[in-house]
Amino acid sequence: MKISRNWLQTYVNLAGLSAEEIARAITFLGFEVEGIRETGAPALAQVFVGQVLTRDKHPNADKLSVCLVDLGPAGGVKTIVCGAQNYQVGDRVPVALPGAVLPGNFEIKPSKIRGQSSDGMMCSAQELGLSEGATGLLILTDRPEVGLPVNDALPPGDTVFDLEITPNRPDCLGHLGVARELAAWFKKELTYPAVHYVPEHADPAPRPDLLRTLRVDAPADCPLYTATVLTGVKVGPSPDWLRQRLTAVGLRPINNVVDVGNYIMLEYNQPVHAFDARRLGGQTIIVRPATEGEKITTLDKVERTLPAGTLVIADANRPVVIAGIMGGLDSGVSADTTDLVLEVANFRRQSVRATSKRLGLASDSSYRYERGVDPHSLEEAMHGCIDLLLATAGGKVAGPTLKVGGDVPWQREITVTPAFINERLGFTLPADEMQAALERLELETVRTDPTPDRGPAWTFAIPSWRDDLDRPIDLVEEVLRLHGSDRIPAAPVVAPALLADDAPIVGFNRRATDALVGQGFSECITYTLRPEKETAAWIPPAAESKFQNPNSKITAAFALANPFLEDQSHLRTSLVPGLLTALQLNQARGTAAARLFETGRIFVERDSQLWECAAVAFVICETESDRAWLKRPAADLFTAKRLTESLATAAGIDLGRQPLAPAGATAPGWQAGHAAAAGELQHRGWTAQFGLVDLALLQSLGVAGRVHAGVFAILPEMLGAAQARHRYTDFSLLPAALRDLALVVDAATPAGDVQKILAKHARAAVGSAFALESVSVFDVYAGKGLPEGKKSLAFSLIFRAPDRTLTDDEVNAVFTKIQTAISADGTITVRA
Amino acid sequence: MPGANDESPRTRKRFPAPGIHRLPMQDQLSALLAKAAAELPALASRPEFEAAKARYVGPHGELTALMKQMGTLPKEQKPVAGKLINEAKTQLQVHLDAALLRLAAAELAARLGPAVDATLPSPDATPGTRHPLTLVRDELASILRKAGFIIADGPEVETEYYCFDALNTPADHPARDAQDTFYLPADARFGNVAKKSPDEKYLLRTHTSSVQIRTMLKGPPPIRIIAPGRVYRRDTVDATHSANFHQIEGLYVDKGVTVRDLKALLDYIFASLLGKDTKVRFRPHYFGYTEPSFEVDLSARHLPKVNKEWVEICGCGMVDPLVFEGVGYDADVWSGYAFGIGLERLAMMLYGIDDIRYFYQNDLRFLRQFS
Repeated sequence: MKISRNWLQTYVNLAGLSAEEIARAITFLGFEVEGIRETGAPALAQVFVGQVLTRDKHPNADKLSVCLVDLGPAGGVKTIVCGAQNYQVGDRVPVALPGAVLPGNFEIKPSKIRGQSSDGMMCSAQELGLSEGATGLLILTDRPEVGLPVNDALPPGDTVFDLEITPNRPDCLGHLGVARELAAWFKKELTYPAVHYVPEHADPAPRPDLLRTLRVDAPADCPLYTATVLTGVKVGPSPDWLRQRLTAVGLRPINNVVDVGNYIMLEYNQPVHAFDARRLGGQTIIVRPATEGEKITTLDKVERTLPAGTLVIADANRPVVIAGIMGGLDSGVSADTTDLVLEVANFRRQSVRATSKRLGLASDSSYRYERGVDPHSLEEAMHGCIDLLLATAGGKVAGPTLKVGGDVPWQREITVTPAFINERLGFTLPADEMQAALERLELETVRTDPTPDRGPAWTFAIPSWRDDLDRPIDLVEEVLRLHGSDRIPAAPVVAPALLADDAPIVGFNRRATDALVGQGFSECITYTLRPEKETAAWIPPAAESKFQNPNSKITAAFALANPFLEDQSHLRTSLVPGLLTALQLNQARGTAAARLFETGRIFVERDSQLWECAAVAFVICETESDRAWLKRPAADLFTAKRLTESLATAAGIDLGRQPLAPAGATAPGWQAGHAAAAGELQHRGWTAQFGLVDLALLQSLGVAGRVHAGVFAILPEMLGAAQARHRYTDFSLLPAALRDLALVVDAATPAGDVQKILAKHARAAVGSAFALESVSVFDVYAGKGLPEGKKSLAFSLIFRAPDRTLTDDEVNAVFTKIQTAISADGTITVRA
Repeated sequence: MPGANDESPRTRKRFPAPGIHRLPMQDQLSALLAKAAAELPALASRPEFEAAKARYVGPHGELTALMKQMGTLPKEQKPVAGKLINEAKTQLQVHLDAALLRLAAAELAARLGPAVDATLPSPDATPGTRHPLTLVRDELASILRKAGFIIADGPEVETEYYCFDALNTPADHPARDAQDTFYLPADARFGNVAKKSPDEKYLLRTHTSSVQIRTMLKGPPPIRIIAPGRVYRRDTVDATHSANFHQIEGLYVDKGVTVRDLKALLDYIFASLLGKDTKVRFRPHYFGYTEPSFEVDLSARHLPKVNKEWVEICGCGMVDPLVFEGVGYDADVWSGYAFGIGLERLAMMLYGIDDIRYFYQNDLRFLRQFS
């Protein structure tokens, strides 16, 4: 919202205040000043109006002229050399005399130009700082007096403030509203615009051929509609002052009728629409919902088909305005318009907003209606508008102003005590300062009731344009605004302990991050919103059938209703794809190998629903081209396994005790045979995957090398079940007995399964005599000496007793029992 | 070499004094020691050493053999011979020890390999790093923890109630536009994000204020929480805008919480973060869920790339009574404040980063700058 200082000056005397002081006031009144622009000429000393008396070609230069210029009382006749071409003898122009300093610190001195002395300079608009890029002398066409200081001959400068008006203060979308705020801030009088028109001035007889009646079919959306007929107007350019004001705030002057409408809008925050009265069909204006298929060509020359129900202003035949938004092209005011219908109305904000959104059409008018226009200032705006039209376009008012609605009078009162305000502020302001501040904002004290201990209870009448003031707390803000929110006194932080804990997810993320940072991983942050293609690559096919509509894409559950970018259309279902993107970016920029991780939310399908999970994932990328003077062993599935175990530990889950399933076929994105998965959301509330990322997928993403990854995801509500405190278990200080056992099994049998079976038999064999302390694989072998399709797994078994050193005999007896038991069903044989 | 039997027993008996008459054994011992002194330093391995040692002092060794001769000597010669043998034995042991020491040292040296050039770089993974947004978040959280704020959490997929309605943002408010907010389709279903009413839509939260509502609905005041987290706006991506970004929002609800308390807290936060010379000022502003509301400006000229006197850094205000009513708190009893800080904006200011997109590109040359 652009606000002109000159315009404000009409209502409040800001003389003597610098632009910075005014900007600061506006800022602390609550409106951010996004820009300050000075227009017009700066103060120019030693620059006067001169008249060109003679113009002769310079004897030594083709393009220069030597002129005699009359400066009258300011300096008499001067000889000036000039290079401009756009002037004639007799023209009056600005002349800078020696001693003048023009914008850009350009000092004028007597000089000699190609042998010809010159006592000053005739100036262009640009040289005076008036406009950019203007060439040629500024010809003062209204012929100001010779010798007049040029500032007196030029239009006055202005300062234009660009304000951000918050949505609660639509009243400040007009100059009058901003002026009211400034008057309150600077403790100055606010002068309301003088309105001369009174309905009695109207010609009582309406013109029989023009508008006679109004009809509002949608009173809820149009609570007040008024229209005035003006006849005999003359459409033409607006006077300079009006053109200057509109230009200053960024509006292009059109003609006096349109300009006056805009002026009133920017003064009162009340949109105005003018019709050419003779282009309205019939003699009734109807405010109604549009019917299906109705069309209107709006002022922007676009033909629009209106959705049924769109609120329109219609004549007998057709919609002529989309209510509150934009008028029709063919009923508007043109150069030959002589009779006007002036519409000043109030529309329901929600209705204007919905229509504007639906049509994708916004205007200065719709902007204001959406935020709120004060219906109780409407009549004044109409009268002010008539005043201005009569003054600038002539004519007369034909008949009374027609009006429908507006029956609800405004009345709102708020009662507040100084004690309440001080309590909310946390510091004490004098009661009279508070009351005075509120009254400066035109909140009238209608009643003062004494209270026993809380000071006077004031009841304020709230002005109709302050719909935002509704409760005592709202007045606390008003008092503080006018006191100055930069004057809140300092204080110590008072924070009585509440003895509460962080959300459990905080600890999970911190532990996971510590674990991975400690292993050389760099934390990444990638986008939650991902492209559909990528999402599809990571959703298990099982998800497809579970969704209600089997025909919908498997990605449908993850899709946003209104994505903004095509490649940010779906919720992420894994953190790995984002990390792969980061790998790809780093590789493209010359960093091939990397260890990256991320903690964040992912969305996992289960049971026909999405579940928001807390997740952490890492990638380890190693490429052929990695060069190092000393090669380290490459990372493998077991690197990823150990790291994933540590992530599960961060959530209090012992992954080592969980059954593993191969990932790949059921978990796309992973390389079949080189990745594994554990857990699931359904019963356990968590999932984990680790291993090699699908090589073909990597290739398609342009990621070089092998990438091992791991993901751990858990429902946030699963975190934070209080962990039981660990209890110490006694351990034996006596020596252990060790036995090694090699077992031959089918090559496809998972070692983990064999280990479980062996441990089961070993525990059974030991019984309660002593303890099996551990069973662990220490060798895996296949090849020479073993049948085709078989492998040998060598296990180390450790036995120990709590109370004695085990004898060879008792251990051997148990060991034999184990060997017999494990080879009983023939799938496992003991390797000789 | 003179034999052991060259001298008669009588002579040996008559000239018992040592040093005066040379015993034949003396020469033999000297020869043996000379041989050992020549041979032992040349030994190349422990087995050679063990073999050589056996040749001298083993059961069939030369010294052992000489010692065995002792028994055959006349009685009067025995003390002298015994002394000679002991001396020789001691000397031989010195040679053996020296040889063993030398071999052990050689063995250790062989295990070590050549000296290593410590100026070569380690080929191991470089130290891990935390993301700058994590660092800033953690720093703020620890500053606020001192003032008693604990971290609360809530879902990123939210419903209209928690994100808007409960925060006094009515249905026709521009913030709720599909133009500004990401919505999920009407039939979207989330297992662990409950809706307040069946016909409200799911969306991606536009602020973490939704966590404040969830926290207040969970229990009575007093409450003092911060809610850091990811939020979403449907916005064009450029140097200062991103489809997702991060906030840290704070909420304090208690009896008698004032505007001055809010200012005191923000003064404390930014003095802790940026130094005592940092100035903080409140400008009145408007948010639907606070009244009064403020925008907070910082004056911190010492920061990199800050070339304005005042930089806008956060929004805050006193919790609007309507919000309290919505969660069932009595607005006449309780008051409170809330504030929200954009983490990206703050991190950009603190580190002098000029493009928000760097946070999400994860270029390692960027990530490694902040540890």
